[in-house]
Amino acid sequence: MRKICKRIVVVGATPVGLEVARQLTQRGQAVSIVDDHKADVDKAHSQGFAVEQINLQDDDELRRVGIGDDADVLFALHNDDASNVFLVISAKAIAPELPIVSISGSRDTIERLYAAGATKVIDPYRISGYKIYELMHRSVIAETMERTVFGKVDLDIAEIHVEEGSFLHGRYLDELSLDERYNLIVLGVVDRNFGDHLIFATDPRRHRMDKGDVLVIIGPEDAFARFHHDLKPEPAGEDPV
Amino acid sequence: MAVSDFVIRLAYSLEESGAYGRAKKAAYDLLENPHARIRPYFDIFMMLLVLSSVFFLLYSVKHHLGAWSGYFEDMVVTLFILEYLGRMWVYDDVHRIVIDEYEKSDLINEPFRLSRALWTIFRSKWNYVSSPMAIIDLLAILPSYRPLRILRLFLLFRLFKLFRYAHSIQQFSSVLREKRLELFTLFSFLMFVLLVGSSAIYLFESRETGGDIDGFFEGIYWALVTLSTVGYGDITPHTVEGRLVTMVLIISGLGVISFFTSIIVSAFQEKMSEVRDRRVSLLLEKKKRYTVICGFGRVGQVVAGYLARDKLPFVIIDADEDAVDLARREGYLAVQGKAERIGLLQTLGVGRSAGKILCLTGDDVVNVFVTLSARQLDDKIEIISRANHHQTVNKLLHAGANHALEPFKIVGLIAGEYVGQPVAFEAIHGIVMGEDDIRLETIHIPPRSWLDGKTIGDLPLKEMRLILFGVITTLDRSSDHVRSHFDLEEQRFQFNPGADFVLLGDDMLLVFGHQYSVLRLKQKLKIRRWRRKDA
Repeated sequence: MRKICKRIVVVGATPVGLEVARQLTQRGQAVSIVDDHKADVDKAHSQGFAVEQINLQDDDELRRVGIGDDADVLFALHNDDASNVFLVISAKAIAPELPIVSISGSRDTIERLYAAGATKVIDPYRISGYKIYELMHRSVIAETMERTVFGKVDLDIAEIHVEEGSFLHGRYLDELSLDERYNLIVLGVVDRNFGDHLIFATDPRRHRMDKGDVLVIIGPEDAFARFHHDLKPEPAGEDPV
Repeated sequence: MAVSDFVIRLAYSLEESGAYGRAKKAAYDLLENPHARIRPYFDIFMMLLVLSSVFFLLYSVKHHLGAWSGYFEDMVVTLFILEYLGRMWVYDDVHRIVIDEYEKSDLINEPFRLSRALWTIFRSKWNYVSSPMAIIDLLAILPSYRPLRILRLFLLFRLFKLFRYAHSIQQFSSVLREKRLELFTLFSFLMFVLLVGSSAIYLFESRETGGDIDGFFEGIYWALVTLSTVGYGDITPHTVEGRLVTMVLIISGLGVISFFTSIIVSAFQEKMSEVRDRRVSLLLEKKKRYTVICGFGRVGQVVAGYLARDKLPFVIIDADEDAVDLARREGYLAVQGKAERIGLLQTLGVGRSAGKILCLTGDDVVNVFVTLSARQLDDKIEIISRANHHQTVNKLLHAGANHALEPFKIVGLIAGEYVGQPVAFEAIHGIVMGEDDIRLETIHIPPRSWLDGKTIGDLPLKEMRLILFGVITTLDRSSDHVRSHFDLEEQRFQFNPGADFVLLGDDMLLVFGHQYSVLRLKQKLKIRRWRRKDA
């Protein structure tokens, strides 16, 4: 289901950097961690992470760890916002197409990181703050999400790319009724007719599935298995509807 | 001895009597307990009483008052006497002293001596009677004894009684008390200058030497008037020596006044934060089930923002001055101080009226410590703590936190999602940020509303552009027709129930959609229920 084994560079042997590296490694990605603070590098070493110490202001060293070469994604996870912005700019200059994910320590930095060329900026404090608020006042939702979506088992959120020849192709989203047939709920869709951004399924427009469109679906694992099985392009005439 | 036996028995029966304990507690709440709800009303009532009695005193200087003013005076004095006795009563527990004495003598196998117990009681009560406030109370009562009409002046002492009831005056006096060393130094210096100045002026400017000064008292009066830079000018020096003395006095007077001002100003500045904190805790006392936020970092700011948006009461503690300033600029209640101090938590009502406490500092040690302290103070309070390291989660839960939250783990989760599925990541990011108008919401189905007993198919979900995730029901509900369900702690989450799933009262719909759609459905539920009741 997931495209396995990408080359990922995580910059910053910070708590958040190490956590991201740990999660990605668990998912089977090839992760290399780099940092320029000796103290942080040593600390990460003592926790069992393989961290390489490089000078982040030197473009050649960045190239050496794979930026502009075989790295698929770059994570800029320094504690210091200014270093993140600098890193994003340097990386963008070396590899303009490289997706870069960064974190911001304050609200104003988010825009600066986007301006510097980051693909996605995550605000960990905002997310945590919202989560705490949910725990306090919408505890049912928080608990449900915790147990199902963010839990290890149970519910998965996955994206499905519409291929030519699959039974999704050419159909309208509202006539698919995936919830009844597969026990899957469509959260959102990227409809190339309307642009490249995610449109939540509450959108009133009708969406026709074409090649290159993406569905974001939530559901239990067994339902996904059945769905994937049916998705494989079958010879014409065996339309499951 | 029969008398002491009787006293001991009486003491024990008082100790056991619930009514006596309740009565004393009520008196304590009324008179002394700073946290009692009735205290402010009592204080204001007594202040009005004091002010009106002094007003009548002043009014009677020029006007003749009728007999009713006598009755009023009698009533005021009666209340004052009752208050005085009441405070003496709640000051300590006489029966406890007797019991302690008895048990002590019992322990060392000696006969109980009533005289010793009485002596202890007397000493304890004397402590009360000789306290400044009690003396003021007594002086406010005494002048109304008719034969002591001369004491009428002391009736003004009633004004001092205001000290008891107004906290701001208490703060002023405590500021002065804290600076008593400096004030004493200043006072001795003042006395010295005054003595030198008045003797000098008396020497040079007395009537006998051709000046205006009639006696030594006038010398002191003149020296003080000059020293304070008031300078009435009713007595002026004429000789060169006298004028020299005046000049020296004026210069030292400037010094005394500026010294005095700076003492008072600096004392108030030091006290200012305390005054502010006191105001915060006073404001909090009116609220119930509020939230205490320890740590006003980025996470704390976000949470505070949400709580302020929902108009929910909360208070912030942070050790950092800048953070507290920021909070105050936002208009939040904030106290500067270390949340580790158990006293500070208590002042802010943890263990009394605080409903939740959030430990959100960047330091795990502090978070664990505060969690533990809060749990000790209150075993019902809801504690949510932040764990900056994975290992801290267990420690926080051990210390008594209801929830432990790892900010970095969440980032790790969604960052991991980004690498594999960038589109799904968008959806998840939108949900966890809660910033879009589209979000997850629960809709409670009121029992006996129009939805009670209906099926999912009857819901106008599609028309309202809502996506139903599932229904949250009680744990014992059957899930026969539901393909997947998950058990939460006290409820059951039925994922994607079919159109024929029957809804019952107190179920909750978990829907995903625009907040207006959710609001609209909630309103519909309310209106229909109301109509149904009407019909």
